[in-house]
Amino acid sequence: MLNRLLRASPYVVVQLAAIYLYQVAGRIEFPAAPGRIGPDFWPKSILVLLGLVCVYEIIKNLLIGETFTAAGLLEKLMKDSGANEAEEKLRSYPLLLAGGIVLTIIYVATIDKLGFFLATIGYLALFMVIGRYRRWGVIAIASVLGALGLMFIFMKVVYVSLPLGVEPFSAVSLWLLATMGVH
Amino acid sequence: MDALIHLGDGFLQVLQPANLLVLCIGLVLGMLVAVLPGLTLVMGVVLALPFTYTMELLPAIILLTAMYVSGTYGGAFTAILFRIPGEPIDVPLLWDGYTMARKGQPAKALGWTLFAALGGGLITTMVMVLASAPVAKFALTFSSPEYFAIIVFGLASVVSLGGGSITNAAISLMLGLLIATVGVDSIYGSERFAFGVPFLQDGIEYLLVMVGAYGLGEVFTRLEKGFAGDGTTADTDRRISTEFPTLAEMLRLKMTFLRSSLVGIVVGIIPGAGATVASFVAYGAEGQYGKRGKELGSGIAEGIVAPQTAATSSVGGAMIPLLTMGIPGSGATAIILGAFLLHGMQPGPQVFVTSGPFVYAVFASIFLGVIGMCIIGYFAIKPLVKVLELPEAVVSAFVVLFCFIGAFAARNNLSDLYVIMGFGILGYLFEKFSFPIAPMVLGVILGPLAESSFMTMMVSHGNDWTVLMGRPISATVMVLAVIALVYPIQRQLRERTKRNGT
Repeated sequence: MLNRLLRASPYVVVQLAAIYLYQVAGRIEFPAAPGRIGPDFWPKSILVLLGLVCVYEIIKNLLIGETFTAAGLLEKLMKDSGANEAEEKLRSYPLLLAGGIVLTIIYVATIDKLGFFLATIGYLALFMVIGRYRRWGVIAIASVLGALGLMFIFMKVVYVSLPLGVEPFSAVSLWLLATMGVH
Repeated sequence: MDALIHLGDGFLQVLQPANLLVLCIGLVLGMLVAVLPGLTLVMGVVLALPFTYTMELLPAIILLTAMYVSGTYGGAFTAILFRIPGEPIDVPLLWDGYTMARKGQPAKALGWTLFAALGGGLITTMVMVLASAPVAKFALTFSSPEYFAIIVFGLASVVSLGGGSITNAAISLMLGLLIATVGVDSIYGSERFAFGVPFLQDGIEYLLVMVGAYGLGEVFTRLEKGFAGDGTTADTDRRISTEFPTLAEMLRLKMTFLRSSLVGIVVGIIPGAGATVASFVAYGAEGQYGKRGKELGSGIAEGIVAPQTAATSSVGGAMIPLLTMGIPGSGATAIILGAFLLHGMQPGPQVFVTSGPFVYAVFASIFLGVIGMCIIGYFAIKPLVKVLELPEAVVSAFVVLFCFIGAFAARNNLSDLYVIMGFGILGYLFEKFSFPIAPMVLGVILGPLAESSFMTMMVSHGNDWTVLMGRPISATVMVLAVIALVYPIQRQLRERTKRNGT
């Protein structure tokens, strides 16, 4: 039963979201014109179809316990060829994943304060460490040169205005920009 | 004749130094992303997109299409030499390409690959040049029901031909279509699913969905599986060369070559299929119809030529619906469409009328790209396979950064970074629960077009959707869409019943 629940869980989540969004779609405001469908029609139609597919999967997985599922052509070709087998045998490192996601969220949250250069040095170095890379010299060089190189390419060549950060961190960014000749 | 004159002008444009440089860079980048495990062709094209923001439209499209073309070829090196397929496209090359290399003929295997990529690429480009203008002319006669039917067919094909189960692909597609409805709708000006959040009121850019789901999602998935520590353990220092097949050998495989080119072009035209499906289908067709079909897998040339020819041929096929109807057939062409839209150009039937010289310049760039890719492949194979030594953790860290910069640069809005983070996690969850990403991305891109053609059809025909079945073209296409969805399910059910019966 637990297996069935696990298999059905993604569809239950999507189904609940579809029901909620259908209600939200019902509250879309628009100047109704007689004989004309409104802007709610299209999203509601999609949500109904989405709900139907989810109901089918929930019934199939949870109530009937059926595991057969028609695969897309590419999926079938890959499965028949055994191409995915090597991938499937790989180990799983959920803590690394969690670490990577948290680090990335922190990077996004702090880039505005630290500025692109400093935040990126830290991010690159820590991400490589989380990725189980342990050549410290390479990590240091790749992080510093990588951050510098990206800053140069995007601010000097492609003209993207990357975040400079707030004081005192912005002083580093501004000094680097001046050194690169970006005004 | 006009086509040839325009094509000649196109060559002159592409041969300008700046465009030629962009073409070469695109070819090398395409090969590099195809070689590197963990960096897919689609991801590579996504990551290149931000560099095109400040470019003119032509070099931007040249860069991305060059990556697309050479990405179908680069992974062959590592598949044949080290049994490392850089892309799913290259999996069929393991069976005969790697086996031929193991038998002591790696140079010959690489030569056959080069011949297949060159021949398939040139044939598909010729077909693309000759077929696009008439297709566009025909498409000019379409009105909203035909357009809507074609989009439905495209979306149905994406669901039935892609990865994952058909129901999961359908859910992914519908989520994509829903994401496309976020923001202010274009007809009534009503706010949909914005929940009072300012950046949602502007809608969710498809670019953020692509970068997040394809780029970050893939990195997170591979991080969970544990990056390979120090790159490959394969011997990339050994002597590597390419030996061309003789003319007699080539002629012996002419049917394989023609059959696979045809498969590649047709599969490329069908939305949702792409180079990987083309490569597998061509290999399967060779097994079924080839003279030496039964010997496939033992290291014969047919097993190399068929998948490689089809993979490269699919590029030209996929460009036809993209340029003539604005309908992308694969992940890579979806990104190329994104680049068109970012630069303010909507591909479609009008494109030959309004921007004919531009389109022919794109054709010319693909022609030159195919030739350039083979030259680079011949001379630079050794440094290309050297990138296998790059540690995956280092490459992935930079991939994430490129994703962020790409997302940020589009609107200079830090909120977009949170959006791609969200789609990155969604992309990871999709991989985890076997939901394919491509239908969602195509849903986001084609959603507005699908909705506007549907609404126009309903308004023009008094809310009567049965008009779809009352017009010959739209009715035929709708029937094809239903077949595309129902046939694979019915066939697999039948196979299962047969298996259970025995």
